[in-house]
Amino acid sequence: MKRYLKLLGVFAKYSLMSVLEYRINFVAGVTVELGWMLIKLFYVAIVYKAGVSIGILTPDHILLFIGTYVLMTGIYMLYYNNFTSLPGMVQRGDLDLYLVKPVSLQFYVSMRHLDFPMFLTNVVAGTVMIVIGWRLAGLPVGAVQIGGFLFFLVCGCLLTYSLFLLPYLISFWTVSVGGIGDITAALWDFNNMPSMIYGKWMQRIGTFILPVFVITNFPGLFVMGELSVGMAVWGIAAPVLFFVISRMLWKKALRNYSSASS
Amino acid sequence: MGIYVEHLKKDFSYYRKETGIRGSLHNIFHREKLIKEAVKDISFSVEKGEMVGFLGPNGAGKTTTLKMLSGILYPTAGRAEVDGFVPWERKNEFKRKISIVMGQKNQLWWDLPASDSFYLNKCIFGVEDYAYREVVTELAELLDVKDLVNVQVRRLSLGERMKMEILAALIHRPDILFLDEPTIGLDILSQQKIRKFLKYYNEQWKTTVIITSHYMADIEALCDRTVIINQGQLVYDGELADINRLLGGRKLLTVKTSGAVDEKAWTAFGTVREIHSAGAVLEIPHEQTREILTAILNGLPVEDFNVTEIPLEESIARFYQKEAVD
Repeated sequence: MKRYLKLLGVFAKYSLMSVLEYRINFVAGVTVELGWMLIKLFYVAIVYKAGVSIGILTPDHILLFIGTYVLMTGIYMLYYNNFTSLPGMVQRGDLDLYLVKPVSLQFYVSMRHLDFPMFLTNVVAGTVMIVIGWRLAGLPVGAVQIGGFLFFLVCGCLLTYSLFLLPYLISFWTVSVGGIGDITAALWDFNNMPSMIYGKWMQRIGTFILPVFVITNFPGLFVMGELSVGMAVWGIAAPVLFFVISRMLWKKALRNYSSASS
Repeated sequence: MGIYVEHLKKDFSYYRKETGIRGSLHNIFHREKLIKEAVKDISFSVEKGEMVGFLGPNGAGKTTTLKMLSGILYPTAGRAEVDGFVPWERKNEFKRKISIVMGQKNQLWWDLPASDSFYLNKCIFGVEDYAYREVVTELAELLDVKDLVNVQVRRLSLGERMKMEILAALIHRPDILFLDEPTIGLDILSQQKIRKFLKYYNEQWKTTVIITSHYMADIEALCDRTVIINQGQLVYDGELADINRLLGGRKLLTVKTSGAVDEKAWTAFGTVREIHSAGAVLEIPHEQTREILTAILNGLPVEDFNVTEIPLEESIARFYQKEAVD
């Protein structure tokens, strides 16, 4: 575990050093991200302007939920590029030199390039939105609430990693997965509004079958005291379940790796 | 502890694709599955500390064999043991003992100096600080890249980059080193330097080395023992110098004459390879060199002559065209 944290630190350092090699690109990347952040803030502005409430959610609550989505997007984007480059690596046989290293291949391949411009802007913006939404909604600020919120955020991170890795693993069999990648990205964006805006069946599918809603809704629902015990258990079980599935599929996929001629 | 390989076999399945868009459309609905036998049935063993060269044309199965021995690929059938481990079980203890360098793949971080990639490998392999410093200093000196370890990899020449790749692969002092075309695309000087380094390293550290190449010079300079692989099969295993003898021990006799000699006169002495107005090149049996030479000197207006071995490349090319020999 200590070795993996150290390696993660090295990856983070090297990724940052690599992007800083190209200063203009780095500045451009941060600028683009700030632009995206503004667009997301517009959502909130619209929600406030229209004064819409969704069920029990006031605009203040919605801000908290959108903030959670922005924060989680930042964390997901930190390693997202590794997922999208996986099919290419399989196609070109680039896993060869990672396979001979005495370290978890899945860890190595999925964490080696970390994207800081996207991470930083989204995490900062998300945190600000969460804090403001929390205050304005008048939600309690106790150790239980903050602890629970952070706990479900961590669960959400694990679930994001496991759930969104699955489609890219298909590349071991099909080699190219462009279409699947696009669908996955769209799936993530379902979370840019609280799940309550969707119909009943959409909510059920998004909570139990493809549990994307668990990722950004459960932390907020917990703070609001709206997360039932059953749902809380699912909020913990789903990440574990999907992590196990992704591990199993990863191992199976690896047996299918055929390298490429050189 | 060495390397033992028994009846190793690797098939790849693929689909037939006819040319053009019509073929592509047809491919969506119907695919004919075909099998390519990359490695058919290979057995050999390598002693600890030995340096063996794999020679063979493109697509012979050299790289596939190396990939199975380093655990990158699962074989279709057969057994292999490398330093007591089954490679494709991919145990971490096994991975600490081996290393692989591929001339067409890189592990260095493109935008960072090579020293950063060395350090990453140090962390991955858990090499101690002092051992790490020692190995980098020593190898950078030997490979003559001391001043380049802090230059971004993308600014290095191909030859310099290859040296860095080799250095990165040796950070954990592996017992077994697999090299797949390490000199591909390099200029002669860089090739020589890398060869010199590999020879020294093998002698100094008693590292077992298997090297594949289609440059004869690599294998000739480095390996006492050569394994020739063709179409997925082992066709020769022995000393490179013995190949000519195995192929019937023939020699080339080049004769320069003071005037034109009739072709018929030449054919009496051996197989005519070349003929021109002032001489010819004949292929003759090794053991009859003396008699044939005497007869030619007595019968023809000889000005000069020269007896040479058949070039090794040529003999090997014959092996490539030939099925397995015992």
